[in-house]
Amino acid sequence: MDANSPLKASLSASRALKLVLSVNGRDHRLSLDPRVTLLDALREHLGLTGTKKGCDQGQCGACTVHVDGQRVLSCLTLAASVEGKAVTTIEGLALDESTLHPMQQAFMDHDAFQCGYCTPGQIMSAVACVMEGLAETDDDIREYMSGNLCRCAAYPNIVAAIKQARAEMKRSRK
Amino acid sequence: MSVQIKANGDMIGRAVPRIDGRLKVTGAACYPSDVVLDDTAHAFLVMSTIARGRISALDLTEAQAVDGVIDILTYENTKGKVHKVRFFALGGYTSTSIVPLDTRKIWHDGQIIAMVVAETFEAAREAAYMIRVDYMERRAVSGLDGRKPQPRAAAGFLSSEPGVGDPETAYQEADVKIDAYYSTPAQHHNAIELYATTCAWSGDQLTVYESSQYVYGLKNGVAKQLGIRPERVRAVSPFVGGAFGSKAAITPRTALVAIAAKRLGRPVKLVATRQQGFTVSSYRAETQHHIKLGADRSGRLTSLSHEGWEISSRADDYKVAGTDTTSLLYACPNVATHVNIVHADRSTPGFMRSPAEVPYMFALESAMDELAVKLRMDPVELRRLNDTQIDPINQKPFSSRSLIACYDRAAAAFGWAKRNPEPGSMQDRDWLIGWGCATACYPTNIGPAEVRVTLAPNGKARVRTAGHDLGTGAYTAIALTAAEFLGIPLEDVNVELGDSSLPPAPVAGGSNATASICNAVAHACEDIRERLARAASHEGALRGVDPAVIRLREGMLVGADKSEPLKSALLRIGFGPVEGHAKYTPEVASVPIKLLGHTLLSKGIPVLTVGTSAGNHVQYAFGAEFVEVRVHKRTREIRVPRLVGAFAAGRIVSPITARSQLLGALIWGVASALHEETEIDERVARYVNKDLADYMIPVSADIRDVEVILVPEEDNKVNALGIKGVGELGNVGTNAAIANAVYHATGRRIRNLPIRMEDLL
Repeated sequence: MDANSPLKASLSASRALKLVLSVNGRDHRLSLDPRVTLLDALREHLGLTGTKKGCDQGQCGACTVHVDGQRVLSCLTLAASVEGKAVTTIEGLALDESTLHPMQQAFMDHDAFQCGYCTPGQIMSAVACVMEGLAETDDDIREYMSGNLCRCAAYPNIVAAIKQARAEMKRSRK
Repeated sequence: MSVQIKANGDMIGRAVPRIDGRLKVTGAACYPSDVVLDDTAHAFLVMSTIARGRISALDLTEAQAVDGVIDILTYENTKGKVHKVRFFALGGYTSTSIVPLDTRKIWHDGQIIAMVVAETFEAAREAAYMIRVDYMERRAVSGLDGRKPQPRAAAGFLSSEPGVGDPETAYQEADVKIDAYYSTPAQHHNAIELYATTCAWSGDQLTVYESSQYVYGLKNGVAKQLGIRPERVRAVSPFVGGAFGSKAAITPRTALVAIAAKRLGRPVKLVATRQQGFTVSSYRAETQHHIKLGADRSGRLTSLSHEGWEISSRADDYKVAGTDTTSLLYACPNVATHVNIVHADRSTPGFMRSPAEVPYMFALESAMDELAVKLRMDPVELRRLNDTQIDPINQKPFSSRSLIACYDRAAAAFGWAKRNPEPGSMQDRDWLIGWGCATACYPTNIGPAEVRVTLAPNGKARVRTAGHDLGTGAYTAIALTAAEFLGIPLEDVNVELGDSSLPPAPVAGGSNATASICNAVAHACEDIRERLARAASHEGALRGVDPAVIRLREGMLVGADKSEPLKSALLRIGFGPVEGHAKYTPEVASVPIKLLGHTLLSKGIPVLTVGTSAGNHVQYAFGAEFVEVRVHKRTREIRVPRLVGAFAAGRIVSPITARSQLLGALIWGVASALHEETEIDERVARYVNKDLADYMIPVSADIRDVEVILVPEEDNKVNALGIKGVGELGNVGTNAAIANAVYHATGRRIRNLPIRMEDLL
């Protein structure tokens, strides 16, 4: 074998975990390395690339998804640990094909992003903050949204968007 | 081409939501790092852990034994595979002259020394940590200590050293003098999208999916590195997850991924970690400044000297030389400048948002505030007194300069008149309040651009050009321009960007893209209008009407009180869509650019006419920034509750996205003043805060009220559409405004950034 040719090796299937992930209301059967994070399972194995990898170590918030309605950092969550739980990603947030979630619409209305890479995580966190009652004042919004970094620094527009969506989410709950 | 381009419809300047917004809020926008191809192998980088020396031994045994590992690239099997390609600042393509995996030599900490490719990301990562490296280490030099004055070093390449008069004598004779040193730290772009590359070969055709500010540079540069024809490479980057200068030149990783994909015969995807990103691409180097100002008793500047020191790598002479800007900012008859490069065992620095102006304007605008204090003069009045419409170095007029209008608008909005100038005089319970201001400015750069526009009988248009939307709003600005000149609704315009198979557009850097591309779009639309008008003047409703007066308006051809539907006009000259094509060359370009600009553009070599090279005038955009800081009396915590910026940058094409850029830029200014610093372990020339927890950037809780004022400005000299560009204007001077406000709050003049609580104890 030529010293320059690729080394031969193959992934042993023995360590693979078989699991079922429920994402956006659909069940997916997967066979994964046990080390695969929920983030990589979504992005690399299910093609749900709306959830973003910004640091892979729980520091930026771009990978935020909901697990059983709670916001979690999918990069710090092993895929295997959410079997049997309901995962919601940005792709599953819109009410239907034509109607955006009020938070998505509010982000558009207030130009609450520039490059858009942190946006899915911002929106997932924002929805959860409103649901948890942690977005009642501007100061609360700023504090509880501080785990989601926006390098383009659209923060004032994000706060404005969350206030708009908060009102609409409350209306629709009544 | 001397067609008349004049926007008189109502689309350019209309406040519309960005047209790609829906894709971004639904997760449907496909960034290059989102690309998932069948049968992809995953790569993981291994970086050097010393800053200077040689690799004495590499032991891959354990790494190769990891389940799923397919290939490991090191200098042993990759040497000679990547051709050396010229550094971008010398008219080439690469972010560094260091060729990846070419020798055992280590130039800097965090240099790529191996790349593992495996069936899965997890296996590649595991194996990367199993590689054993032995080094012969030499003592490294980390950089300059900005808090100590530096010796004068040798000047580097392309040193223009602007100067005029006899600044030394004028300084000696000045009534009031300032002589001070300032420094700014190393900073990293830290876009939220990680540096990722996927390469896929189809026969001898390579596709590179990589976030880019310059897809033509990526295509042509990678082709040169691999020794293949540029036609064999396609670079794809329709969305960019933040760039800020870090994705303009080709970094060493790309060629390695392409080589791995070729060796394996399957796609290879690399996602560098956040930590690796600190040396995968470039950074803003630390700088030091020595400023001497002399003024008469009234405040008029009589002498200005500005000397800068900048860090570069041992491989490259790179400098930003902001003295080009600081030398012409104020009316001063005696000016001297000099820039020194200090080489160290570091990776090569590069562009970062407003590369030259952020550090150099910090120094000058801090010194101007110090001068105002010494003169007991209002800092706004000092700027007003020294304002000029003529560049003091070359005596050329500014194409337009609305600096004082910006100061007046921003000062009024801020309430500056209520300021008590005495330091520490304004307080609110436990907080010392400081108000400060500074000038923002940025050169108006512009380059050749090529655009194709098609207009179909159903009234729908396609605009195609290899421009880039980094979050800047380029899609929206381009669509507004096409809608304006084709007389169709915005929603009928489809814009395609970020693909090297499209006609060439300039690098998205230097805030040139809106001016360059929108002017090209206008010309391409004019091409369509002219052909439709010429045909319509021969027959139909507009027969006999002078083609020159026929316009496209609301889906009709109109002229001389007559009109005809677009559809019938289009069918007259063919059955399918009509295509307009433009190779726009800036009106202000030099003769060599006029002759060679498009040839160089198609080869991916940046050709910009910059603010100081635009023929008979100089062209800059200006702004004025006012900030309130609050410093806690006991803890010395520093907050910035309020920022107001007023900016005049010619015609604003897309006000909503322009405002967002300026808003974000002001917050970048806060970061520059108070947060960002890449900290270096001087003993080993290594970055120590290589992640988003330790590298400080503002979070939502750091920011309160930010107001952006767009000051109307007409400029018919910069280009036909009068566009100046706003991407980098807003974060210039903000750092100085904050330092000046900190002085006003505390009486402490902080000349070394970032300003931290401990500086105010």
